[in-house]
This record gives sequence, structure tokens and C-alpha cells, in this order.
Amino acid sequence: MSDVVEKTLTALPSLLSLDSQPGSTKLSSTSKLGTLIRGITELTSKHEEEKLIQRELTSIKEQVSSPNTSMRQMKELMVRAIYCEMLGYEASFSYIHAIKLAQQGTALEKRVGYLAVSLFLNESHELLLLLVNTVLKDLQSTNLIEVCMALTVVSQIFPKDMIPAILPLVEEKLNHPKEIIRRKAVLALYKFYLIAPNQVQHIHNKFRKALCDKDPGVMTASLHIYLQMIQENPEGYKDLTTSFVTILKQVVGGKLPMDFNYHSVPAPWLQIQLLRILSLLGKNDQSTSEIMYEVLDESLRRAEMNHNITYAILYECVKCIYTIHPKSELLEKAAKCIGNFVLSPKINLKYLGLKALTYVVQQDPKLALQHQMTIIECLDHPDLIIKRETLELLFRITNAQNVTVIVEKMLEFLRINKDDYTTIDLVGKVAELAEKYP
Amino acid sequence: MSNLPVVQVTTLKMQFMLLFSRQGKLRLQKWYVPLSDKERKKISRDLVQTILARKPKMCSFLEWRDLKIVYKRYASLYFCCAVEDQDNELITLEIIHRYVELLDKYFGSVCELDIIFNFEKAYFILDEFLLGGEAQETSKKNVLKAIEQADLLQEEAEAPRSVLEEIGLT
Repeated sequence: MSDVVEKTLTALPSLLSLDSQPGSTKLSSTSKLGTLIRGITELTSKHEEEKLIQRELTSIKEQVSSPNTSMRQMKELMVRAIYCEMLGYEASFSYIHAIKLAQQGTALEKRVGYLAVSLFLNESHELLLLLVNTVLKDLQSTNLIEVCMALTVVSQIFPKDMIPAILPLVEEKLNHPKEIIRRKAVLALYKFYLIAPNQVQHIHNKFRKALCDKDPGVMTASLHIYLQMIQENPEGYKDLTTSFVTILKQVVGGKLPMDFNYHSVPAPWLQIQLLRILSLLGKNDQSTSEIMYEVLDESLRRAEMNHNITYAILYECVKCIYTIHPKSELLEKAAKCIGNFVLSPKINLKYLGLKALTYVVQQDPKLALQHQMTIIECLDHPDLIIKRETLELLFRITNAQNVTVIVEKMLEFLRINKDDYTTIDLVGKVAELAEKYP
Repeated sequence: MSNLPVVQVTTLKMQFMLLFSRQGKLRLQKWYVPLSDKERKKISRDLVQTILARKPKMCSFLEWRDLKIVYKRYASLYFCCAVEDQDNELITLEIIHRYVELLDKYFGSVCELDIIFNFEKAYFILDEFLLGGEAQETSKKNVLKAIEQADLLQEEAEAPRSVLEEIGLT
């Protein structure tokens, strides 16, 4: 048995039950939650389930409102309340107690309290304001686990108006010696940036510092913010292109610790983020694009293995190559890649291949022609999704010669399709074509 | 009118993740967008039915309303994510896979029962890995370490200081 599991099993003091028996199994067979779950599984009708849950909720309601309930018991009650809400029943009486639990509980109790809050409430809920004080307090705690919990909750759900109150505290965490805290602080700032961009304008230089952070996790976190900012203003960040290219080179070249490998691929999500950033920076800009050709070539080469994640990276690479200023050798390799996708027997890859073809068809119509046999086969594919994607592709390569055939196929599809949204979309396309080619 | 596909290089914004059994019972739900309770219930119900109706050999991606849904079945559990339309679906598929690997490492050969009876743990792990709907590229070790440390803290509730020192956090 692995280290992790051993440690977890021995350290788990039957979390969900009120009595702590060291070494009890993960399944907490004596816990109240366990009993509830088993009770539900044994029932046969929805009506009975409703009755059972309502009984349970009444009991929970009584206990949470009682002044004698300890925090430990409250935690257990909260877990059951979460479970009931997950099944679709309403337990709003417990919301305020969740906040209280986060405030007054210690360690695991606090964690469950925060979890309950993040699951129960949403951004516009009035109770959220009460959470702010708790978070502020925890951010200043000497117990780093509490700081982590506070930062996690902030990144998920936080009232926009209270950002100024908490911003300085989060900012100072950017310089914390522990990487997990720096990383979470960056993510909290990312969240702030998304909901109130003008509030975080003044700290852009701190993001740069995060980008150069020696820990790859922190650096990756900063990329989320950069991707967003670059999307809004690519010109402002062209000077960072070389930095991004260097980082990608290092990642692809395997310079990160082995830890970050996912199925032998170094930091795939990081690669993908960087590829997207590079796409945005290189678009319509020859000089910037030239900086990245080498690393794109390298990425294409390295992504050789047969794993889904490699294909995901390849797809992003291909998209990038077609977006930035064109370079013929790269385009050739990318075209070959797309070809492999479309011809692949794996249905998910076929889908991606079709999607890629749709994307590039304006720039390279020959590619679609090259694969037209496969495309025609896809039209008759049993899976509706593939069919629909093929129609999407065909829509883009419609010309005066093939329009009749294509529209016929679309109408055929409309007859068997049951999904409203797709129908509306497709009808729109047919109408467009009808107008264009009377 | 030429419909040049716009470069929608958006961030991988996940809208929600649902885990449900083959009978359609929800085991975990994490929402990354603000939606009312009523809307959430409706979406869960409709989506679960749609996915349960899919046959095994079909594509893992489907377009549903204005969202892209990526799903995969592991044993008796369906893992289902909704992302915004233009994203690279394979990435999401791998995010799901990565999450499953994390669960597997934490619980040791995870099964549906583990997730049912310890769902709050599943949430904690999910939150470490997908903060605010974005995949964090942290090493697997780091994600699980963060959860374990909090677990250990529970055990030593009466002497928190010493544990923190022990694991080097102070």
C-alpha cells in the first residue's frame, strides 16, 4: 500500500462520526452520514426518499439551532446538509451555520465550513458579507493551513464590493516564502481581476514578479491572468513574448522537475496556456511570430506519443500555427497533423480533426479537399455529433457547385435531430445558403 | 459573407462539473458560474438524462444548449464537465482524467463508494486541483500533500503548533 494511503488511513479518526476511533476504515460505517446514505439506497420510491430526507432535515435543523451543539457536531451536521442539498432538497437554514462553522471551528471543522459556504452560497447571496470578516481574520492567521483555506474560498466566491478591504492582505501574500500560499494568492488576484479589473490595475508589476517566480506552480498561476490581459490588449504585452517562448522551450525540453510530468508529458496544461498566449501575441504580427517559430517546431516534434494529452497539445499547436503569421514549413507539418486526426479511428480525435479543418479551411481550402473522402464518410457516421461537425465544415466550403448537395444533407440531418439549439443553428445556416445561392 | 472563424482563445473556463451514477444520482456537483438553485437543478436533470442516453462508443464531446459538454464514464460513475464553446475538448477530458488519478492516489484504488461516503474529501481535492474552474499545473504530489497536511492537523487538534513545525510550515 502506498505511503499516502497508509498515512491517511491511520490519521483518519473516522471523520464523519462523533466518536473518534483511530484506525477505523474509510467507509465510516457507524457515521450518521453513512446511515443516511444507506437508508436512502434501501428505499424504492422517490416519495419515500423525500420523507426520509425531510425527517433528516428537520432533525438537522433542530440540532444546528441548538446552543448546545459543539463545533465538531456542527461539522458532521454540515456534511449531511451538503449531501441533502446535493440530492436536490433545500437546506437554507444551514447556510448561516456554515459561516459560523468557518468562523469558530478549528482546522477540519473550518475546512468543512468553508466548503459548505462555497457550495451553498453564490456571489450575490446576502450572507456572503458575513464571510468577509472570517476570511480577513484567517488571512492573518499564523496557521498557514488556515491562510490556505481562506485564499481558496476567496478564489471561488467573494463579494465584489469588499475587494478593497481584502486586497492588501492578499497582495502581501505574494511575497510569502511558501509557494502554495503565493500560488493561491495569485489565483485570488486572478479572480479579482475577472470580477473587478479596475481594482487590480495598480499591481501589474507584481504579476510580472509572479511570472518569474522560481516555482513553476506560481508561474503557471500567473499565466491565467496574463492570458486574460493579453486577450484584452495584446499590444501591451508583446515585449514579454521572448519570456514566454523561453519558458515554453524549457518546459518542452524537460527542464521542469519530474513531478510535473503527466504521463511522461512535461506540464501539459502549462504548455497549452503558453501556446494560447503565443497565438494571441503572434497574430497579424510578423516580427513577433518569428520569435516563436522555433519553439513551435520543437513542440510539434516532441509531441510524439499516443496519449490524449499529447493530441491536445498538438491541437493547440496547430491552432497557434494557423493563427500567427504564416510560415510554410510549420504549416505543412500542422496540415499533416490535422490529417492524422481526421483519419484516426479514435472518434474523439476525428472530432478534433474536423474541428481543426473547419478552423483552417479559410486559409487552406486544399486541405479539406485532400480529405474529402473521409469527410463524406463522416457524414454518414452513426454519432450525431460527428455528423453535425461535418456539416459545420461543409458549410464553410460551400460553393456554387456543391451547395445543393450540402443543403440536402443538412435538411436530412434536421429531420433526425432532436436538440433544439442545434436545429435553430442549422436552420439559420440553411437560410443563409439559400440567400447566397438562389 | 465569409465567416472567418474568430480566434476564440479563451481561458479554459469550466462552468461546472457533475459526477453522477448510472442511475442518475448526483454524487458531486461543483459550479463555477453563478446560477440560481432552480437553474442548477434543471440543468443537472436535463444534462444527466442526455448523457445517460448516449451509447458507449460515441464521442466524449457533445454540444448541449450553448455549451460544450465533455464527459467520461469511469466504472459506475460519470464525470461530466461543461466548458465554453470554443475550447479544446481534449484538454478537458484530460482534466477529468487527472482528477480521477488524484482521487485514485488519495483513496487508493478509488471506487464509487469512496466518493459517496467521503464526498467532502473529493471536493477538497477538486478545489486544490481546479481553483475557480482553472486547472492548476501543480505536481500531483503538491495537490495531495496539501490535503494530507490538513488531515494530519485534525489528528493533532490539541497541539497544532507541533504538527506545523514537524511538517515545516512554521
